[in-house]
Amino acid sequence: MIWDPGDNAAVQREAKWQRALPNDQLPDFVRDRLKAAGAGKVPWMSTMTPAELLLSQGLGVRPIAMVSGTCWYHYGWSWTNGHPEGWHIALERLRQEALAAGANAVVDVKMRTIEMHAEDSMDFTVVGTAVKIDGLPPSTDPVIATVSAVEFVRLLKEGIVPVGVAIGANYDWLDPFLVGNPVANFRWDTQPLGTLGDFWRRVRQRAAANLRTDVKRLGDGVLAHTYFGQLLRVKEDKQPVQYLGRFIILGTAVQCKARDNVIGHIQTVIDMRDDLSPLKDPESHSHSAYPVDNDKEGAI
Amino acid sequence: MSEAEGQIPKHALERLKGLRGQGHPDGIFTSDFSVNEFLLVRKAGFEPIGLCIGSCIYHLGIQYAGWSKNQELTTLSQAMYHARELAMSRMREEAKDMGADGIVGVRLTVKRMEWDNNILEFMAIGTGIIHAQGHPGYKGPNGQPFTSDLSGQDFWTLLQAGYRPLEMVMGSCVYHVAHQGLFQSLGQVGRNVEMTNFSQALYDAREIAMERMQHEAIQAQAEGVVGMQLHEGSHNWQPHVIEFFAVGTAVVPIATEQDASVMPDPQLVLSVNS
Repeated sequence: MIWDPGDNAAVQREAKWQRALPNDQLPDFVRDRLKAAGAGKVPWMSTMTPAELLLSQGLGVRPIAMVSGTCWYHYGWSWTNGHPEGWHIALERLRQEALAAGANAVVDVKMRTIEMHAEDSMDFTVVGTAVKIDGLPPSTDPVIATVSAVEFVRLLKEGIVPVGVAIGANYDWLDPFLVGNPVANFRWDTQPLGTLGDFWRRVRQRAAANLRTDVKRLGDGVLAHTYFGQLLRVKEDKQPVQYLGRFIILGTAVQCKARDNVIGHIQTVIDMRDDLSPLKDPESHSHSAYPVDNDKEGAI
Repeated sequence: MSEAEGQIPKHALERLKGLRGQGHPDGIFTSDFSVNEFLLVRKAGFEPIGLCIGSCIYHLGIQYAGWSKNQELTTLSQAMYHARELAMSRMREEAKDMGADGIVGVRLTVKRMEWDNNILEFMAIGTGIIHAQGHPGYKGPNGQPFTSDLSGQDFWTLLQAGYRPLEMVMGSCVYHVAHQGLFQSLGQVGRNVEMTNFSQALYDAREIAMERMQHEAIQAQAEGVVGMQLHEGSHNWQPHVIEFFAVGTAVVPIATEQDASVMPDPQLVLSVNS
């Protein structure tokens, strides 16, 4: 194994990255590696489990390579726009890699972020497994899906086509000059906080509406979505208290006709285990980089 | 009393007494299998023989990088790889001594010593198994026992899919991500913008780790790698130093490739337990 190709090689490599990334291209060494994987000249690499491999084979779906896209994005100007932009750039880079690999789709796309703090910015990374489908030529626009390989195959089998990742986000400030302090009068009473509640609901609704718009670009609906929201109380020196709400939703867009392609027979089983059953395991693998339970101010 | 009334079968009693059973040269096997795992490994035609452990304690020296420079810390990359490789090869030696065909359920762990931040313990642990009929075709590269991080369940499924494991392949890359200079920070005031030096660093580090893993798969003459995982970790290094570690099980078809039509169709079930 080559551990240290020397300073010169490292400099050349860096220069290739610098040329490639701003131009929506891949460095030649990445493209060549993926091309070789697509042509079957080097071993395929896949995040699939053996069970997923077995099921995919049955439908002629074959793994090619693990593909990825990264964008470290500064969203200080607009959180709402910044987060979808960051993910979209990362997804576009993943798509470039899928194209180089001659793939028809990328499955099991997961969102990741590195724990490294840099103010008002974060790592938007997507990784997944590029696959090809027997009998199909390489796609000019490979499908990108956050669902796992098994779910992807299951959807295809039912005639539902996953087509891409849809994103909706929104943030807003609740301005005390306009509405007064939304919490002050309610200190001792048990009652709904109307102003704050309405504000937070609007932020969520706008994010959902943005998701709907983004889905329209791709297909008929969205599945398997994951979301992240924060309602923050911000108190700056000598300023009235302000509230910041922000919300982002991500999911897999699908093309599917209503009341079409309903699955066939389902057998019901009673699992006789008393403790946690593998059939009831609540731990589905997460595709989100956002800490769903985390309401603290963080790197996001 | 007959067997039907709950008596323990004779062969099971023999095994309990530590008598030699098929596939267990010294009569007793050790494993960290769950019951289901054990049953499925046997269903696949294998028997466990013993727990295989390899470990290695490694002192990691310090490697400095320029504050504003994106670069791989090659000494650390090598050390992280070498330490894991040592643990793995020691585990494989144990398996070889037992006469195992391979090791399944390998877990690879890294632990930092409380009393010294630069000392890491690497451990590889898995269960050595042997083909019950002595089939010679399941060994890994160069006649060594195969290694795999697949569970017993996954092992059975992989064989069903027409593949056998060769060895765990891995690639590591420790990378220093450049800090952002004041000039660059000023440049992004008032707009959303990509911080390309960060993007580039993470992209390159991951690419290097994957290239190295793929290189190992080529060396092993694998057809592919299943269950590939990508870990990003900072083992208490300075901020901006990150390790990308790619690991998976290299596999090869058992014989000729199976036709898609013979793959079983999964049955849909819904658990109605409340």
